[in-house]
Amino acid sequence: MTTASHDPITLEIIQNSLQATADEMFAAMRKTAMSSIIYEVLDMGTGITDAKGQLASSGAGIPGFIGVLDKSVKVLLEKFSKPGQIEPGDVFITNDPYYGGVTHLNDLVVCMPVFAGDRLIAWTANIAHNSDVGGKSPGSLSADATEIFQEGLRLPAIKMISRGEAIPGIFDIITVNSRMPDFLEGDLWAAIASVRIGAKRLAELAEKYTVETFEAAMVSFMDHGEKIALAELAKLPHGTFELSEEQDDGRIFNVKVTISDTEFVIDLRDNPDQDAGPSNAGHDDTLVSMQVIFKALTDPTSPANEGSFRPLKVLTREGSCFHAKEPAAVGFYYEIGIRGYDLVWRCLAPHMPEKLPAGHFSSIAGTFIGGIHPDTGRQYTIIEPQIGGWGASAGRDGNSAIFSGVHGETYNCPAEISEARNGLFVDRMELNTDPGGEGKWTGGQGIRLDYRIRRDDSFLTLGYTRSRILPWSLDGGSEGSANYALVMRKDGSSERYAFASGIRVDKDDVIRVITGAGGGLGNPKERDPAKVAEDVRNGLISAERAQEVYGYRGE
Amino acid sequence: MSGKTIRVATDVGGTFTDLVCFETDHDTGESKITTAKSDTTPPNFEQGVLNVLEKARVDPKSVDFLAHGTTVVINALTERKGVKVGLITTEGFRDSLEIARGNRPDFFNLHYVKPEPFVPRYLRRELPGRFSYQGEEMKPLDLSSLPAILDDFRADGVEAIAVCFLHSYANPSHEQATVAEIKRLWPEISTVASHQITREWREYERTNTTVMSAYVQPTAERYLSRLNDGLSAKGFDGNLFIMQSNCGVDSLDSVKKIPITMVESGPASGFWGAAELGKLIGETNVLALDIGGTTAKCSLIEDGKVRIMTDYWIERDRTSAGYPIMVPVVDLVEIGNGGGSIAWVDDFGKLHVGPKSAGAMPGPAAYGRGGTNATTTDANLWLGRINRDYFCGGSVVADMAATEKALSDVGGRLGVSPEDVARGIIRIANNNMVNALKLVSLNRGHDPRDFTLVAFGGGGAMHAVALGQELGVKKVVIPAGASVFSAWGMMMSDLRRDYFVTKLADLNAGSAQIVESLFAETEALAASQFSEEGVDKAKVKFLRYGKFRYQNQEHTTEVLIEGAITDESLAAIETAFHETYEREYTYRLDAPVELVGIHLVASAEVGKLKMQERPLGTTPASAALKGERQVDYALEGIHAAQIYDGEKLEPGMKFAGPAVIEDPGTTIVIHPGNRVEIDGFGNIHIHLKA
Repeated sequence: MTTASHDPITLEIIQNSLQATADEMFAAMRKTAMSSIIYEVLDMGTGITDAKGQLASSGAGIPGFIGVLDKSVKVLLEKFSKPGQIEPGDVFITNDPYYGGVTHLNDLVVCMPVFAGDRLIAWTANIAHNSDVGGKSPGSLSADATEIFQEGLRLPAIKMISRGEAIPGIFDIITVNSRMPDFLEGDLWAAIASVRIGAKRLAELAEKYTVETFEAAMVSFMDHGEKIALAELAKLPHGTFELSEEQDDGRIFNVKVTISDTEFVIDLRDNPDQDAGPSNAGHDDTLVSMQVIFKALTDPTSPANEGSFRPLKVLTREGSCFHAKEPAAVGFYYEIGIRGYDLVWRCLAPHMPEKLPAGHFSSIAGTFIGGIHPDTGRQYTIIEPQIGGWGASAGRDGNSAIFSGVHGETYNCPAEISEARNGLFVDRMELNTDPGGEGKWTGGQGIRLDYRIRRDDSFLTLGYTRSRILPWSLDGGSEGSANYALVMRKDGSSERYAFASGIRVDKDDVIRVITGAGGGLGNPKERDPAKVAEDVRNGLISAERAQEVYGYRGE
Repeated sequence: MSGKTIRVATDVGGTFTDLVCFETDHDTGESKITTAKSDTTPPNFEQGVLNVLEKARVDPKSVDFLAHGTTVVINALTERKGVKVGLITTEGFRDSLEIARGNRPDFFNLHYVKPEPFVPRYLRRELPGRFSYQGEEMKPLDLSSLPAILDDFRADGVEAIAVCFLHSYANPSHEQATVAEIKRLWPEISTVASHQITREWREYERTNTTVMSAYVQPTAERYLSRLNDGLSAKGFDGNLFIMQSNCGVDSLDSVKKIPITMVESGPASGFWGAAELGKLIGETNVLALDIGGTTAKCSLIEDGKVRIMTDYWIERDRTSAGYPIMVPVVDLVEIGNGGGSIAWVDDFGKLHVGPKSAGAMPGPAAYGRGGTNATTTDANLWLGRINRDYFCGGSVVADMAATEKALSDVGGRLGVSPEDVARGIIRIANNNMVNALKLVSLNRGHDPRDFTLVAFGGGGAMHAVALGQELGVKKVVIPAGASVFSAWGMMMSDLRRDYFVTKLADLNAGSAQIVESLFAETEALAASQFSEEGVDKAKVKFLRYGKFRYQNQEHTTEVLIEGAITDESLAAIETAFHETYEREYTYRLDAPVELVGIHLVASAEVGKLKMQERPLGTTPASAALKGERQVDYALEGIHAAQIYDGEKLEPGMKFAGPAVIEDPGTTIVIHPGNRVEIDGFGNIHIHLKA
């Protein structure tokens, strides 16, 4: 079975194996990681590229991580372009968006070249959010950072393992810069194990089917991805669509989308200059966010690869918040990413009602709480995105309490585990039934989550958008509700936050996380009375408000 | 004394209720095997069991041991045919069941539909009272609002109550007090609390498990009671055991209390059979593969032990988050590839096989019942692997014209011949199954070369050699009676319970005492539960597993612990953890190791079947030869294969491939270069090409 043959069944089998390998890498990372942000939240992804760094297959928990790894590999190929600079057994690392790291410094990208003999045939890669990579604030994210230097250790696409041997000093530099060196080291080795397992499988595949067939399978897989994308593109309404939207901070974001048979062009050039703070995205990350919405529109079901994104063109202006220039801070890049993603969604929704529901809570709502665990005396840091309400679509109410559009196979942390691990109390985790998202079809509910702090001198950092400008509705439905957090002090006072870092919290202070309902769709007066009665019975809306909004008259 | 023991296994499936009876002669040790099949009879499933006993002419009076497997629980769940459940939970957490874990597995899909909770919000009620994660009471339980809650439940027609409080795995006393008060206020309502099912953490998973248990409890309890009554009325006074998802059997009384433990009992008996077969033939490392009409399932058995986990979900796939059921279930991977899986071509000219199945009706095109889709079975027929003149053991005339038409339709879309389509179907189906087998072996650090592939179920033997060759296993074994192998597994099962308890402990001096006493307490609980059911304490055997991880990790690795745990033995346990961990994940860390919980297996033999080995004879295999035909081995080409009659194979016979063994229940495809031997139990050993 070792003759070179490019029959379609063999190619299909190799393609299935690429997917199985990316999944296996993902499973290995998940099971061995030390930070709950990786093993529970699954803020991580794995991928396989061809020798040129084109995405062949990915195993990811998060759509926002699907298109990251190929960009890192391409930067490595450019940087290590001389013969002998990339060898079997090497492992590379980057985390800097100005050097192929794409996102922010917390995300360590680990890449390994795969060889058949001395021929480079593919890459395996892994990205994961690490708990602390140094910088001015614990958890490495600070809302008041003004330069990337304040956000942690920068790893500008470097080799860390050479021919299987760790390069002396590199691990020391990485761990000494972290406030949580044990976690970082454990997570880093988990990432290395994951790319090594993947590389071993790919080498076996190439040996079994020959390098030529293996490479042909990757090419045909990508061509197939492109074919699907083009076929779906043909079915979308063609033309140019534009939208301007005000943001929580008063800035106006603009987008222009032009769809034709062959191209899907997103023009983000007309946008504000880069932020003085950390709300900036690098060009590559903006591209990734646009890939996510493009894939949702063209082919949400089959796995993504380089070909899936070929018809997509993204235009940005260097120096703008969607294309930050070094040394802009980028810690909260993901809120800019999701704003861009939601901007395109909102721009197109009125034109493609069967493809796009009303707006969702649309924020990562990254929440960082840290301090000393009162029972173990060890440092803990909670790093978690939040779940919230999704928008209504024609014929169906939105989902309650799920992760945002750029998260995916992500899991929230059980209260029982959080209390043991983090040494605080979770007093409640329930649906947020505040008004918002009413309509013929309603938006889903967000959540209300209370953390009671057990030890003085702990901290809260958060970065939520859609805190003032609410999730958008469609066809006369009501807007959704806001994302924010309250710090409810022991003395009875209370503060409202959406974007802040290093807020001191003490014993018996309660941090209440609130996420919004998704937008409603259609006139509320047209909602099926039986559904309204069910909502009232389930306590999702009061009888008085139901009367006011829906004309409810009791059962 | 009758001089013989009669053991019966019955299995209630979706369509048929099956029976296998082993009548063992005490003098010769030989067993006479009878099988029978009758229709499943919903909703009175017990009637089907009584019918099949009658059909097989087995007098319930004469039966000593009756093992029973049923899909009643899983069907009630997937068909949403349980009862209305009310949930009582901790203040602030009534929405846990609906919030679930918030994940969106189908992550590009903006129209994802989150699974709906089994209890609507108005039937989810809260009580004040709180424990810490260490099990200390922070707020006392306040039952003052319980009567009003129960009044509401009555008014709303609730038929079962689930109780699940935060941290009840560490301290169940609030749950116990609540259940006692419910029983006092409303004695006839069916009630279950989470600690009765599991002592592990994660509140959503535990709550959902409790809810699903309550949901099926009245139905399952009624069914088991009627079965018992029906058998007793016919004079049965032997032992009745119910197959469980953990590969053991349990007593009727015990299962009636927590029927959810039956949820995945179907595949469990087959995998247990594979483990027992492995021990019998001296091959204790087994990759077990069960191919049925709709799915293929596989599991890995190491050193004779099945792997039992509590990370089981229903309806979970790439498009749905599904529902967790935290009960001990054999670790298995299931994929939508079976004999009836349909081959199809997507809009872009790619061939796929499954997960849609033609089922029993209309079934593969060759059944001639109007099926127009090409299935894996059609491909096997077309390539001569299945005998077109002996289809389904000769009971069905293969409609080859329909098969040809179905394959040609697919071929037309791909621009290739029916032969090429058939080969493509087999290769893709095999590749899907190989990937599933890799998930349970290679992906967990096991080298397939150390394992024997044991294949059973209607379709297992047809694909086993190709899969074994691809994986590089030691050899392939097809058990005697592969099509009734699950029933055999049931007869070989022990009374078994798996106890999982979450408990955090560092591995330092002084902690040995904590861990040892947790094991000792759990063993005492197990022993007393067994003895309540009349099982002699001396017969109860224990296996102790610790669940360990590096400090700060989440997922654990199980390590078997031999003997008592002392401060001195901790070092050896830690070493064993490092080794197990490194094998599975390729590296180890110089980090502290902690215990996250224990897994105790308690088991007792309850009259299991003893197999009689026959001496190897000298009759040549040619005595079983019934012909020769052309068989297409896909990538290995077309060969003239010797056809053997499976019913005429005798211990000691040897022959070589290319060959096909046919018996009424299954077809075994032997590839060129394979060597075949029949062992003293009638099992078929296939040695692969070196």
